[in-house]
Amino acid sequence: MNWVELASLIPLLLVASISVILLLLIAFARSHKLTCWVTCIGFALAAFWAFTQMGNTTQQVTPLLIIDDFSRLLGAVVLLVSLACAWVSYAYLETADEICEEYYILLSLAALGACVLVASNHFASMFIGLELMSVSLFAMVGYMAHSKQQINMTLEAGVKYMVLSGVSSSFLLFGVALVYAYAGTLTIDLQSVAGGPHLQSGYLVVGSALMLVGVAFKMSWVPFHMWTPDVYQGAPAPVTGFLAAAVKVAVFAFVMRWLMMAQGEYLNVLLLGLTLMAVLSMVMGNLLALRQNNLKRLLGYSSIAHMGYLIVTLAATAPHGAAALSTALEGAAIYLITYACMTMLAFAVISQLAAKDRRFESGTLVDYEGLLFQQPLLAGSLILAMLALAGMPLTAGFIGKYYLVLVAVDAQLWMLLGLLVLGSSLGLYYYLRVILVLCKPPVSDHHWVLGASEKLLLMLLVLATLWLGIYPTPLIEWVQFAIA
Amino acid sequence: MGVCSFLLIGFWYQDPANGYAARKAFIVTRVGDTAFAIGLFLLYRELGTLDLPSIMVLAPEKFVMGANQPTLIATLLLAGAVGKSAQLPLHIWLPDAMAGPTPVSALIHAATMVTAGVYLIARTHGVFLQAPDVLLAVAFIGLFTLLISGFTALNQTDIKRVLAYSTMSQIGYMFFALGVGAWSESIFHLMTHALFKALLFMTAGSIILALHHEQDIRLMGGLRRQLPVPFWCFVIGSACLVALPPTSGFFSKEAILNASWQLPRYGPWFWAGGVLGAFITAIYSFRLFFLVFFGAEKAQPHEPKGWQFHPPLIILATLSLIAGWFVLPAGDVLPSSPAGHPPMWTIVVAIGLPLLGIGIAYQVYVRHKWQALRLAHWQRLRQFWLQGWGFDGLYRRLFLTPFTSLAQVNRNDIIDGLPTLLIQLSRFLHRFFSQLQNGQLRVYIATLASAAIIILALAISTVGK
Amino acid sequence: MQLLGIIISLLGGGVLALMMGHKSPVASRWLSLASLLVASIFYTSLWLDSTNSLSTSLWIIHTDWPWIERFGVHLLLATDGLSLVLIGLTLVLGYVALLSAWHEINHRCGLFYLNFLFTLAGVVGVFSALDLFLFFVFWEVMLVPMFLIIAIWGHEERRFAATKFFIYTQASSLLMLVAMVGLVLLNQQQTGLWSFSWFTLTQTDTSGSMGMWLMLGFYVAFLVKLPGLPVHNWLPDAHTQAPTPGSILLAGILLKTGAYGLLRFVWPLFPDAALAFAPIAMGLGVLSVLYAAKLAFAQNDLKRLIAYTSISHMGFVSLGIFAWNQLSLQGTLMQMVGHGLSSAGLFAIAGLLQQRLHTRALDQMGGLWALMPKLATLSMVFAVAALGLPGLANFIGEFMILLGVFQIEPWAASLAALAMILAPVYALVIMQKGFFGMAVGDKTKALDLNARELLMLGLLVVGLVFLGFWPNLIFTVTAAPVDSLIHLGKGG
Repeated sequence: MNWVELASLIPLLLVASISVILLLLIAFARSHKLTCWVTCIGFALAAFWAFTQMGNTTQQVTPLLIIDDFSRLLGAVVLLVSLACAWVSYAYLETADEICEEYYILLSLAALGACVLVASNHFASMFIGLELMSVSLFAMVGYMAHSKQQINMTLEAGVKYMVLSGVSSSFLLFGVALVYAYAGTLTIDLQSVAGGPHLQSGYLVVGSALMLVGVAFKMSWVPFHMWTPDVYQGAPAPVTGFLAAAVKVAVFAFVMRWLMMAQGEYLNVLLLGLTLMAVLSMVMGNLLALRQNNLKRLLGYSSIAHMGYLIVTLAATAPHGAAALSTALEGAAIYLITYACMTMLAFAVISQLAAKDRRFESGTLVDYEGLLFQQPLLAGSLILAMLALAGMPLTAGFIGKYYLVLVAVDAQLWMLLGLLVLGSSLGLYYYLRVILVLCKPPVSDHHWVLGASEKLLLMLLVLATLWLGIYPTPLIEWVQFAIA
Repeated sequence: MGVCSFLLIGFWYQDPANGYAARKAFIVTRVGDTAFAIGLFLLYRELGTLDLPSIMVLAPEKFVMGANQPTLIATLLLAGAVGKSAQLPLHIWLPDAMAGPTPVSALIHAATMVTAGVYLIARTHGVFLQAPDVLLAVAFIGLFTLLISGFTALNQTDIKRVLAYSTMSQIGYMFFALGVGAWSESIFHLMTHALFKALLFMTAGSIILALHHEQDIRLMGGLRRQLPVPFWCFVIGSACLVALPPTSGFFSKEAILNASWQLPRYGPWFWAGGVLGAFITAIYSFRLFFLVFFGAEKAQPHEPKGWQFHPPLIILATLSLIAGWFVLPAGDVLPSSPAGHPPMWTIVVAIGLPLLGIGIAYQVYVRHKWQALRLAHWQRLRQFWLQGWGFDGLYRRLFLTPFTSLAQVNRNDIIDGLPTLLIQLSRFLHRFFSQLQNGQLRVYIATLASAAIIILALAISTVGK
Repeated sequence: MQLLGIIISLLGGGVLALMMGHKSPVASRWLSLASLLVASIFYTSLWLDSTNSLSTSLWIIHTDWPWIERFGVHLLLATDGLSLVLIGLTLVLGYVALLSAWHEINHRCGLFYLNFLFTLAGVVGVFSALDLFLFFVFWEVMLVPMFLIIAIWGHEERRFAATKFFIYTQASSLLMLVAMVGLVLLNQQQTGLWSFSWFTLTQTDTSGSMGMWLMLGFYVAFLVKLPGLPVHNWLPDAHTQAPTPGSILLAGILLKTGAYGLLRFVWPLFPDAALAFAPIAMGLGVLSVLYAAKLAFAQNDLKRLIAYTSISHMGFVSLGIFAWNQLSLQGTLMQMVGHGLSSAGLFAIAGLLQQRLHTRALDQMGGLWALMPKLATLSMVFAVAALGLPGLANFIGEFMILLGVFQIEPWAASLAALAMILAPVYALVIMQKGFFGMAVGDKTKALDLNARELLMLGLLVVGLVFLGFWPNLIFTVTAAPVDSLIHLGKGG
């Protein structure tokens, strides 16, 4: 490995070093504020570096990691999400009945795992990244184990996530092994498998299917989704934000590399299964969210639906040739990024609310009544998030939706498109419900003042959501860079 | 015109019945108006203009006599005329319109507005001349209205309703005249009728006012001594109505009957009908006259006896008498009436029958003889005629009741049921699927495993394609 | 550039009103009025420019800035005679609605006026966006503030009504989005260029079955907004539950955006498909006219009745548009303006009645003429406008539409003419039950109109009468655009 390659790894190294620094910091000078600052600065620097590196040549660092524009861009996105998560965790943890500093170590490790996943070109690094991220998340989901108020929910969520994740990872690993048996190599890209010892293609088929199971679990595709509502509801709000945004981005980035960009017969084999999952996710995700009363659970189901919509981009690639591929890649990337942005906005609001009163995350929507008139910034941001998730123009969500429609029409995927329209219409109902609740006359007293840093984070996220919606051209240009 | 009529009929709005009458008027005339409008559209499409002078020029050129288009257009225009002029079958609103104040009845519903239909047909005669079948229909409608409302007027007990049916009847006469080709006579009759009918209405109004808003003629009687001016006005008015010589009405009726006798199709039948109509007119108008002004005094007029009515009455009476002597300067505008003379005996009968009618009325209502003729003894017939030959009931059953019940039944809009159904379906599915999510880890794992099998199966199924 | 001025002054006014609303509700009202005035000044200047330059060019292009170059999306705002008239209607109704909201909206005024002005800005944008993407943005965006208006300041069932309103519109808009993307891709296949500009896309060849599907996508979205059978169900609830200014805006202009969409997009972009589909569309129009009139008669809730009459009148619009000749289109425009004014008046009156009597039920009213003669008289005016009395704008609209449709499809016109019978039935029922008859209950508390209300209703009456007698005021401005549209729609 030469210096150039090492330099390209700097973001990853930075994040890794955060965790080490934090370990030392906790040992010598335990301070929540300091820990949080270090984490945030580290994430910000890493994201900034990754971003400015865009346009440089692609570096294959060891057969495991590929640092190209794609991984730089999506890595930056993941890091920004982690930054937001760390930022919003501060207030949340301050009021938690729990030791806080270790949380940030876990967070940085999870972020590291996500970045590795985004940059992985090889099944081994994929697994390393995935597991690093997941194991950290197990602990993060169950973090509030000492808080009397939250112990039940958080532990239940943590255990469920751990067990189910373990099951799905075993499927994943087995699948990888079978693919290896076929290809004789662990690289994703099978182009290099001209010769080499390989057994019949049946191994590839079964292996891919099993791998898909593992991936589908992480992506919350129906019928692998059953963990999502419980875990989203039980985990602490910032963690849910990370789960909803960063994990999805990272895993789908890998899926994009695996199924769309790499050579190999994977997609053709898996198309039917993917289509089925898309149909089920789009319909059931929205149906299940309709009358949900807990906001995090509702958002969990909504994210199932959104991930279902995303499969359209995969389906559009399948038999259709190079032009369709680039549009589909572009659409997928933009959808991911806009989705991450608006999801993070929603969960940032919930976290800040939960920081003041835990009922905002564990209770029902009744607790949100009248928030528009008492906490206009928070409620307004939440309304914006809901509108963005619903796909209202001038928000980031619309750009994503527009791209999906474009991709679907271009590839003539009429059934999926019809379900997309149907699902979005269903989805409107519960997003509107949330907005209506916020607009009701206030019942309880929610007068408090937000701190400056909290306001700043909200403003930044709101601005990002609106910016991506109103002037997406820069984003489109970056993405076009990334997928080239 | 229709709106003002509506507002004036319903002037005393506290009583819902008045409002109902007003709406009935508006809507029934609207039915005619709609047909009229469609006729206009058709006219525009065929001739490319709605300009009256152009139409009169173009119609003979573009239309073949008796062809479909002019017939259709003429029929639609006729419908509009029928509505506004309260002819069969759109006549039901006029009697109820009497709910308005008497001056309103006098002006609008006797003299001016209701004659608009006659004016319409006369104005668009160019179209009608191209559709002789429709002209025949005009004559028929006029004749039937004339007769039916005449018989109904025989029965009425409200002074204004008698006059209303009388108006209807006379306008029928005007239609009849148009239909048989006596164009200028029809317009002449329109003008003179306006004068004497207004006179009769205003007189009635003064009587009603003097008797404290009493309108039932059975409760009146012997008023000729008490109310001399109304009495003489009524004499003049009734004479004009019955078309006794030398009133203006006499000359126009003569001409109309002459023209009807000469009609190529059914001429004599029309003539007979016209004569019968004159007969009935005489009977009912003098029945009214005798019941109100002769016989025992049943009501006492109060002081002052409505004297502010008198000047207009006198003016109208004078005009009614002398108007007939002015020749209508219509000249070339309207087509000329048939010349020629029917046989002498027809003229004799035409003059004689009304006189006979007056005589009969005198006998029955003043001398109280020939009581068997009084309809009071023939209950069923009387009821039928009293209710205007049952048209109201017919229309109610045919149109009103189905419409209102349909409206009430579908009040909440069946089409709304579809989205409601969708909403309920979504709710149901939501509950159903929510139950699958029961929180048990082993269920989750089982689902995961089963789904994995399905995915596997789907993947394998693609092999070999 | 004046258009940008109109939009910005409305948006700016809204934001200022929100900020002032906390301190003083009165200030937010006056601020809104001020921003409307500023917008009107821009509009007048635009009108003068347009009527001067009409001889040379049809369009005034206000902005054409590149926005999303990847897809050829531009910020393209342009006006012709058609949009000019509709924007004028928007502003006039803005004043009327503002006057009606003056004392009706008492809590959270700042937020209300924000939503109010944003809705107006959104509508102005809809009428002037000539880039399909931009049009779509405005189309959706004008929904949200109206949704909030209904949901926060409406009546008993407001949340249900607001949600229904939003979902119906949004779901159909998604179909329009799909069709739009399809059209743009079609154009890209044919010319190799990405463009969302209306001027470019009207040149695309949209014959064939693909064209029909695309047209239907647009048609459904506009049909829902119009609204036409069978997707009209959102309107009775939305209009009934909205507060009075909301109903005025909804009935007065939001419905017209649907008609505008049909005029501007469906025929010019898809001439062959629209022609083929016209009989069905006209049939649906006739059904709307008759079915809604029948339903109107049965209602006891005054606002619901008026809502159904709106559906009936807009059925005429749908009918007129699909006949697509000079007469029917001019009639359609007149009907749009006339209906905007008359239904605004009717809703304003319903609102005034509700404020005074605290009920919308007709069987609870009666005998009001004696108590409130001015209100009653003005109601009579609007009622007869609704039934199409000559001398008021609605008659001209209806008559011309029927005259025009008759040239193409006589049966449709004849059936729709039956509305001339049905309309008095429901219009006069309003008068009978509400104002005539005996008074029901204790009505001594009812007050007649004050100066502000008189002004508001007077504005509308003046407009109706003016246009009833001098329709050329509008026709001269719209004749050329209508001609050009007809030309485009015939595949020119």
